[in-house]
Amino acid sequence: MGHGRWDDNAYAAARTFRAAKGLDDFGYTAKLKSGPRDQWKADPTLDPLGVTARECRDSADHADSTPIAVLFDVTGSMGYVPQIMQRKLGKLHGLLQRKGYLTDPQILFGGIGDADSDRVPLQVGQFESDNRMDEQLRTIFLEGNGGGQKSESYELAAYFVARHVATDAWEKRGRKGYLFLIGDELNKPRLEARHIRRIIGDDVHQDIDPASVYRELARKWHVYFVLPNQSHYYDDPEIADHWRGLLGQHFLKLDDPGAVCELIAATIGLEERVVDLDQAMVDLAEVGSADESRAVGKALVQVGAKSVATSATPADLDGPDTVTLA
Amino acid sequence: MTEHLIVVGLGFGDEGKGAVVDALCAQAPTTAVVRFNGGAQAAHNVVAEGRHHTFSQYGSGTLTGVPTHLSKHVLVEPIALATETRELTDLGVPDPLSLLTVHEDALLTTPLHITANRAREDARGTNRHGSCGKGIGETVWYSLLTGHTPGDTVEHQRVLGTPGEAPTVGDCLRPTTLRRKLDTLARFYEPLIGTGTPVDDLIHLYKSFADAVRIVNDDHFHTLADTGRLIFEGAQGVLLDETHGFHPHTTWSTTTPRNARTLLAGRPARVIGVTRTYHTRHGAGPFPTEDNTLPHPELHNDSGTYQGSWRTGHFDAVLFHHALTHARLDALAVTHRDTPATHYATAYRSGATRTTTLPTHDRTHFLTTCTPELEPFPHDWFERQGIPIAVEGHGPDRTSYTVRT
Repeated sequence: MGHGRWDDNAYAAARTFRAAKGLDDFGYTAKLKSGPRDQWKADPTLDPLGVTARECRDSADHADSTPIAVLFDVTGSMGYVPQIMQRKLGKLHGLLQRKGYLTDPQILFGGIGDADSDRVPLQVGQFESDNRMDEQLRTIFLEGNGGGQKSESYELAAYFVARHVATDAWEKRGRKGYLFLIGDELNKPRLEARHIRRIIGDDVHQDIDPASVYRELARKWHVYFVLPNQSHYYDDPEIADHWRGLLGQHFLKLDDPGAVCELIAATIGLEERVVDLDQAMVDLAEVGSADESRAVGKALVQVGAKSVATSATPADLDGPDTVTLA
Repeated sequence: MTEHLIVVGLGFGDEGKGAVVDALCAQAPTTAVVRFNGGAQAAHNVVAEGRHHTFSQYGSGTLTGVPTHLSKHVLVEPIALATETRELTDLGVPDPLSLLTVHEDALLTTPLHITANRAREDARGTNRHGSCGKGIGETVWYSLLTGHTPGDTVEHQRVLGTPGEAPTVGDCLRPTTLRRKLDTLARFYEPLIGTGTPVDDLIHLYKSFADAVRIVNDDHFHTLADTGRLIFEGAQGVLLDETHGFHPHTTWSTTTPRNARTLLAGRPARVIGVTRTYHTRHGAGPFPTEDNTLPHPELHNDSGTYQGSWRTGHFDAVLFHHALTHARLDALAVTHRDTPATHYATAYRSGATRTTTLPTHDRTHFLTTCTPELEPFPHDWFERQGIPIAVEGHGPDRTSYTVRT
């Protein structure tokens, strides 16, 4: 009954409210989606093809840079995540800095789709520390399709971060960066060489085992997978088993999808041992995220302050790095 | 001390409250227009300076730049509010949302309420109540279910599922609370409307809503009331009042000045009752003086899909006095004085009995069976009622309004 028109109205309503706040739409997505599908492509600033490396470097202003890469599934219902991030970016950045979790956080955003079925399965921006982050978010193309086979190309994104990101934090200080993958499905069973060639441009000719990509990644990155309560997969044990197998306790279920930014901030605060869980909750409440802090607390309670170590990789991540599959 | 104004309709709605509020706002400095009943079903027409808008949730002072406060007695429907925001922007009102404050306790009307409302009204077939189909009654009904269980009957409707607390505007600031309440609401209505709008979509939308409007508490209202003149804009009319109207053809809302007086907490206020020089009614319900052959032009009202037809009839002094009894006026606003009203009802006949007052019981039945006695309508009838006429309207445009306060 009458639902047909509601989506349009609701979309227009959300847009009206955002416009009132001075938050424009995701203009790039709106522009592209008004054209034919075969012309959909990533904005040049976010296209991974042929990129040697995205760099997170120290500067006069940011002498102790720490890279934070946030790559989210932009398929289906997960398209809300970038919108939530956009609304709360200020809080995330402010909390990290003001509370002393990190001195010089530099944040990179990216979008993950399905290399089997999407026009734009991977987008990766630059590390930014000012409101260019916001622009980057708005420029991400929210393709919104997804393949419908319960898997997205997270491993392709992981591969890009492992091979095509260079950071002073690691090179000068041996400090890991933070990678948050936000999604609700499984990795593809294999990282296909033809996708790497087509989407990233590396001359790879053998398929790669996704588990080996995550092992390689974990040497330089704290890798978290966040499953927001946004889809019917939230309580699917297959998803949880899959990601726990890859990342151990770094698989985080988040009750309130609106708390993604808060979760990232609190996770970093814990990992850096700047705060314990209780203090992180207090900090969150201070920035006006009382409800969110409860969801964050629940997501992180399994991680706990004591079990988090700054540089140890989860025990079950041992093994050779790149395992190619015939 | 500032004297606040309470504007209420004395008919079945459509008396011209919007134009009266606009004229009052244009005439003297006004701190805010406060809505104190109803929700998105209000339709108050204002024509001024070459612009026309049908105010629904925004106060009718908006075209004069006066802010709106939606009090805790108002039902707020964010999607319709956004639509109205765009309409006002198109009319040249800069950033309409910045003119708005909403009390945190105001009930939220969701698409689930709206769908349920329409499902029920459709199921009534030919026995429609004349609902606008905007979820108003459903929103109020759900808010009354706390403590009830499946199988109970509340206000003549059976409770099918397990109800929870009603979502409020303030919940839009509390995502976890909002989700809990909306999940319960969606489950509750599933037997009636199926899956309905996904809760995730609603949460996303309501967060943007909460980002864009100022959600306030009682303190804000009291500050407003102590700052300067408030104009309380009633929705619908006293003849549709939930207590004093004619069931079941009433609105689930207190249309008398009662809510406004409660909000004012003893601050002085004058009540202005608005009436046309004839009666109108939108949708189903008794209307003794109905005469659809009357040549009264109607610019901005027509038949609503859910509400039904637009009806016109002679002025009815019996209904007018019934309304006065419950509104207790300090002044009148008479609109449509440019429309020639020829006759009016002075009394009703029911069998051998003649009466000029309504019975206290079975009023609806009485009104549907009685015959009005029509007499020629004196042109100065309103002037003879012993109530000052504060506002007069001789046409739809602000320039045709005279304010004497």
